[in-house]
Amino acid sequence: MSLIPDGLMYTKTHEWFKVSGTEVIVGITDYAQHQLTDIVYVDLPKAGTVKKAGEVLLTVESVKSAEDVYSPVDGTVKESNPALADKPEQLNQDPYASWMVKIRVSEGYKPKGMTPAEYRKHIGE
Amino acid sequence: MMRTTLYEEHVSAGAKMVDFHGWEMPIEYSSIMKEHMNVRTKAGIFDVSHMGDILVEGPDAVAFLEHMLPTSISTMNMGEAAYSAFLDDNGCMIDDVIVYIIEGQKLLVVPNAATKDTVMNWMVKHRENFRCTLKDLSDQISCIALQGPETPEVLRKMNIGLPDSFKFSFFRINSTNNITGDSRGIISATGYTGERGVEFIIPNTEAVGIWRQLIKELAVIGSGPCGLGARDTLRMEKGFLLSGQDFNRDRDPVEASISFIMTNQGDFIGKGAMERRKSDNIFRGFILEERGIPRTGSRIFSDGSQVGEVTSGTFSPVLGKGIALGYISRNHSSKGKKVDIEIRGKMMKAVVSRPKMVP
Repeated sequence: MSLIPDGLMYTKTHEWFKVSGTEVIVGITDYAQHQLTDIVYVDLPKAGTVKKAGEVLLTVESVKSAEDVYSPVDGTVKESNPALADKPEQLNQDPYASWMVKIRVSEGYKPKGMTPAEYRKHIGE
Repeated sequence: MMRTTLYEEHVSAGAKMVDFHGWEMPIEYSSIMKEHMNVRTKAGIFDVSHMGDILVEGPDAVAFLEHMLPTSISTMNMGEAAYSAFLDDNGCMIDDVIVYIIEGQKLLVVPNAATKDTVMNWMVKHRENFRCTLKDLSDQISCIALQGPETPEVLRKMNIGLPDSFKFSFFRINSTNNITGDSRGIISATGYTGERGVEFIIPNTEAVGIWRQLIKELAVIGSGPCGLGARDTLRMEKGFLLSGQDFNRDRDPVEASISFIMTNQGDFIGKGAMERRKSDNIFRGFILEERGIPRTGSRIFSDGSQVGEVTSGTFSPVLGKGIALGYISRNHSSKGKKVDIEIRGKMMKAVVSRPKMVP
């Protein structure tokens, strides 16, 4: 069964995000890393990149496939996790400790997502 | 979905199961990369029971297969296996197979799972004037591949001898094997990883016992079962074709860089058409010089013009780089030639290699 920690919000496209003030931290779920198999490259966005919720934020490459990761909110990229460039396998080992991007949420945008229970139902577990 | 006899073994070991051409098969147990390196440095086992097993039997069995394949069968001896491919009327490959000479009048053809029925129908269609029968034993036969440099050691502990490459021998089992007609399993020094290794071709009733025995021996050397994910990355590093992906009735053996199978001096199905094809393309390997992974369909460019297309791509655990297999115009196919591969809209630098990218 996939790990789905409390205290985080989830998307239909298998991102997790954590809201703190005007900032959200984004990563991919345990379910997502398991589906991807071994992750070998992460194409991280540059600081300052502006994204709408649902737009492609970055791409993750695994041995088997390349999958897009979507922005859960409207906002501007503040920072990408530099450790993932050299150690992308961290995403397989501990997807919740391995954040990918920090986003400054656009003014007036209210983040929307699924609760852990809703996400578990969404992935059919 | 179809399942092999070993399905429960995979599920109870925690394998991630996926749909592989209608078969519910393990893609990985823990990690494709780890399983890949286990096979390169130690040994690992694969359930490949989904592959077909077609028995060709009768006084004309050899003549029939020599009529069907570009490979000389009449020069083979009992206990020998050969890699070959069925060609269609256009000289293009329907499927690649291994042919085993079980006895003088009894041959086994092992096609791929997804193309087994096509191969069977193709053989039935051409069998008419030959005195031989065709029996599809696929539902009764399991196949376990043990691959990796420690294969001899694992077999020694099981008291089973290791045949020379592309040869096979028999070992005693407790149930009847409808390939041999007696209580003998087949152990064949063949595989799809480029490592030393064997394949056990056995009745379903023997599969769980042999699988568990192998798991026990592998645990001693810190290894275990491997999924189809690692099987795919292992074969790509060595440049082995995948039927249905690297060719699909659109490529002949010369352009697919397996002209070594053309040892048949006589006439065979597809011969004339194949000789007339003279494709300008050739199957090659491509090693990325930038951080990117080519995928099926990625286009290959030289000086801005398209010169080829990727048919298989992955990340090579041994090279630590993206790699691809595909077809490129002969003018651009020399080893070391620099090309660009288009990956999700970006051009990435790559170098042409022979299909075998990992020595």
